[in-house]
Amino acid sequence: MSTDTDATARAQLIDLAAQFYDQFELGEIPHMELPTRSKTNIELDEEANVWVYGDRTSTRSANSVRGARKLLKAVYTIEFLADQLEQDRSSTLRELYYLSESWDNKEAQFNDQDESNQLIEDLEIVSEVTREDFHMRPEESGATIMGPLFLREQTRRGDREIHCQEDVGEGGYQIPNNPDTIEFLSSDAEFILCVETGGMRDRLVENGFDDDYGALVVHLKGQPARATRRITKRLHDELELPVTVFTDADPWSYRIFGSVAYGSIKSAHLSEYLATPQAQFIGIQPSDIVEYDLPTDPLTDSDINALENELTDPRFQTDYWEEQIELQLDIGKKAEQQALAARGLDFVTDTYLPERLEEMGIF
Amino acid sequence: MTSLQSTLGEEGIAEELADNQRAISIAEFFEKNKHMLGFDSGARGLVTAVKEAVDNALDAAEEASILPDIYVEIQETDDYYRLIVEDNGPGLTKESLPKVFGKLLYGSRFHAREQSRGQQGIGISAAVLYAQLTSGKPAKITSRTQGANEAEYFELIIDTDENEPEISVEETTTWDRPHGTRIELEMEANMRARNQLHNYMKHTAVVNPHARLELVEPDAHFKFERATDQLPEETEEIRPHPHGVELGTVIKMLNATDSHSVSGFLQEEFTRVGKKTAESIIDEFRDRHYGRAMRWKPPGAHEPGDIQATVEAATVNKGAEATTAFATEIADAVSSRDRIAHHELAGIVENVGEAVGDEYGTTFGSTVRENAIEAAWETICGHEEVTDQGTDDGDGQQALDEIGEEPDVSRLVTDLYGISDAATSTRKDDEVVHAFSVRLAGTFEDLEDTRHRLTHRELRKAIDRAANLTEEYDDVAFGDTARENVTEAVWNVMATVPDDPPLVRELTGDRDASSDLVEGMRATNIMAPPTRCLSPITDELVEAGLRKEFDADFYAAATRDAGVSGGDPFIVEAGIAYGGDLAAEGRVDVLRFANRVPLVYQRGACATTDVVKGIGWRNYGLDQPGGSGLPNGPAVIMVHVASTNVPFTSESKDAVANVPEIEDEIELAIREAARELKRYLNKRRSMQKRRQKQNVLGKILPEMAEKVAEVTGREQPDIDDAVARIMNNVLVERHREDDDSSVKLVVENHSGTAESLEITDIVSAEPANLSDGASAIEMDGEWFISWDVDVPGGEEATLEYDVPDDATFDLDVKGVDEEKLTITA
Repeated sequence: MSTDTDATARAQLIDLAAQFYDQFELGEIPHMELPTRSKTNIELDEEANVWVYGDRTSTRSANSVRGARKLLKAVYTIEFLADQLEQDRSSTLRELYYLSESWDNKEAQFNDQDESNQLIEDLEIVSEVTREDFHMRPEESGATIMGPLFLREQTRRGDREIHCQEDVGEGGYQIPNNPDTIEFLSSDAEFILCVETGGMRDRLVENGFDDDYGALVVHLKGQPARATRRITKRLHDELELPVTVFTDADPWSYRIFGSVAYGSIKSAHLSEYLATPQAQFIGIQPSDIVEYDLPTDPLTDSDINALENELTDPRFQTDYWEEQIELQLDIGKKAEQQALAARGLDFVTDTYLPERLEEMGIF
Repeated sequence: MTSLQSTLGEEGIAEELADNQRAISIAEFFEKNKHMLGFDSGARGLVTAVKEAVDNALDAAEEASILPDIYVEIQETDDYYRLIVEDNGPGLTKESLPKVFGKLLYGSRFHAREQSRGQQGIGISAAVLYAQLTSGKPAKITSRTQGANEAEYFELIIDTDENEPEISVEETTTWDRPHGTRIELEMEANMRARNQLHNYMKHTAVVNPHARLELVEPDAHFKFERATDQLPEETEEIRPHPHGVELGTVIKMLNATDSHSVSGFLQEEFTRVGKKTAESIIDEFRDRHYGRAMRWKPPGAHEPGDIQATVEAATVNKGAEATTAFATEIADAVSSRDRIAHHELAGIVENVGEAVGDEYGTTFGSTVRENAIEAAWETICGHEEVTDQGTDDGDGQQALDEIGEEPDVSRLVTDLYGISDAATSTRKDDEVVHAFSVRLAGTFEDLEDTRHRLTHRELRKAIDRAANLTEEYDDVAFGDTARENVTEAVWNVMATVPDDPPLVRELTGDRDASSDLVEGMRATNIMAPPTRCLSPITDELVEAGLRKEFDADFYAAATRDAGVSGGDPFIVEAGIAYGGDLAAEGRVDVLRFANRVPLVYQRGACATTDVVKGIGWRNYGLDQPGGSGLPNGPAVIMVHVASTNVPFTSESKDAVANVPEIEDEIELAIREAARELKRYLNKRRSMQKRRQKQNVLGKILPEMAEKVAEVTGREQPDIDDAVARIMNNVLVERHREDDDSSVKLVVENHSGTAESLEITDIVSAEPANLSDGASAIEMDGEWFISWDVDVPGGEEATLEYDVPDDATFDLDVKGVDEEKLTITA
């Protein structure tokens, strides 16, 4: 949290307001241009091997009532962020949403939190400053790490050195909002295992999987927060640990893997910073459903839709994914991670994961 | 025509009443028919009486080319209501006055083919009679003809036994109107139908924008002023159109005409009938009355049947050479024809007989000629051969067999086979067609009239018979289409006969022949009747009328071209008023008019209402629950049907009958006006959106600018250009430097289309050096500088002048919708 970054971030924001000012003065319709945030406008950055926005842009312009409202809100938000940086305060996305209620102008207030979240993302992209540098935090995601890792975290109460097995409780080490404040001291870990559901994470910890296999168990808690993805990337990059992702076998879970590995469509402007292209998918794969004869649920219409959507998503256009998704559409079934319990509580740690990890060449 | 209408319609009520019904008193007749005349209750009776009197008054004034000025007063007396109607018409003469008001069915328009309000001559006299029957009081009439020194006053009662008016009081009086008529009636009535009465007056004012109307009630007073000084165009009476008359009318006309020949009768009494059309009608009449004559193919060279030989054999005592020449020439003339009818053969024989007779100095008298015709006709028809073969064998069965086996046995069969085969589908078996032809030929041979004449109906009967027999004996289908086709094919081959049509006096006694004539008239193609007998209000005045009586935001009107229904020309006009003070709740109002008379009752039975209900109004921007029926909203839809004979559903003339031709025109007229309504509503909607957008943006953008200035720590930016651009607006801006005498007005057109502006700058000091050909006019110490500027889409114009720098300004811009204009000056 250097004052330098703060000053730069603030200057960038004010620049943006100045742009609107100049547009007014020139008799132009105030507007800002953003990359189109849809799956048809993401492309693979060959160098970094992550998915980033393509060339297509859309314009937020005061041409329409809707557009004008958006820009008005943007200006109000810019003012708020600039003030916040000046006073070295921070706030959460949710706080921003409620804070807008206190603005003198009703037209500038947000209708829902999606709107304010999206606006912050817009400002990130246009000003090329991450929201962490705006001092905007997400709500605690509660994502955790459990495993043989020793680190130092800068907190408001000073530096803390923490071992992610010995110094933490059953819940594990809580990932902070800005993981860049963490320094990794040492690690005995062999690999990283990102787990989608809390139930499975607890099962692995209870069964001592982290100890037995040298696994850093990262709990994703559904769609992973930026901090979770960032720390995963740093662990991979700095400790050179292979990253594996373990989720349910349904289309929504594949997207979780996608955002860990390739970056999400919403934050493709930060892919380079958040995505770990080397991440590998453990499962549960559709082929596992067949192979292990797991208990299943039928695919719903929206599942099928999502799967078909993924077939056209550039991030999933690999032989592996096409084969798996088509197989799943074919069998018309999905399965949860917990379905493995049908073979006994230890099946996942004794059989399934070791087999899969071996197949994937992790050990 | 329904029986109801034929009792009262023009077909003969006058005669019937005059000739046959003397025994029944007119009062009794009225009592029986008052519901049809619109007097079935006291409430309605008053409305009808007003209506009849006002219609009469309007007609009277217009006929004399006077702008109508009509005064209606309703007074409540002790027991009765008193109705007073005054007009400024030409007044009535002493002679005609009692008849007009006192005799049922008197009127100049009874048979006239001309658009007018009244048609039957029942209206006003029925009101007089109604008043007399309910109150027992006479009608009091004052009339003053133009230029007369004094007015005349009459009290009039109708002798109900004789249907004759009787004048009980007659004296001269003074009256303030220089000319006109005033009628005063006392009757049993009530004011429960006040609404209808007001509607009637208001609607009359709508369709008679040239009339001034006044209505005084016991406690209300209405005035309807003129919207135009233009009298309706005068109409011309036309004779009836052949397509629009009924048999009864034609019989009456035949009785009355001075013409001797049918052709003369048709040309004299009908419109659009000249010599040629009359001839066509008579031909149609001949086909119906006499039938057509079958034309057979004469025997060809290779066929048996030698006309020359048979004629020669039939001709005696004329000398060998003359006989041979006679026979040869007849044979030649016949065989040169493709087909020949009996009367055509007779014509040939006559001509040849005369020519050869002259040449050889002999006379081929009528007997000789008839013999020759008979002989030749028999040869053409092949009678002899068939009979010969039949009788020779003395065996009917064998003759039949031969007919079946040998196709050449009868010439007629061959001929008919050819026609039938061509007319029926190729899938029909030859055998079947042949058998059919044999049977059809039999009909011709059996005809009593050896000239082989058949009417269309008889021909069809013969063909049906032959076809039925064929179906029965040959067990095949011979359907309606085939029968129809064969009938038409044979009919087309047959020839119209040249017989002279009967004279008019012969026709008068012959109902069947008259009916044939009417049918012939209907079947003939005749030009549509002229429309000078119609006087539409015109779309312009329809709009003016609506504008006058309804305070709305939008008006549209349409007048269609004339159409024809049943021989009567008609014109439909429609108008729509929308918005303003019209009630937004509930259904729209439908105003119905026929010949400038508002139709007040029986809305649901009227073709007009049906048409309005059938139109999809959503398409035109009106709310229509369920997509059909009367639309909702602040609108008035008016429809005027003008015709020489508006088809009403009943004699009270409250509803237009559902005549398809008229309904179609009503629909087209309404749609024409409705399209304009749609354009207006669309524009209004887009202007409304624009206004809303402008309102919101007008708030948001300055706030945004303010915030941007705050954040950047600069002064407020100028946002007018940006706003104008966003709104695709035209922006007019004043630029003036401090301490500078030059003023610039910049017109920026941010829209996509060219705009023409009228810009006026009002300045408090004298300006100089005006640009762009502007001129300054001084008025009360202010100078008005005006420019007319055209600015293409996306471009700008600059207007300049000099003025002392302490001057003040006031800018006025016209030519651009308010919503599209931003002025910062």
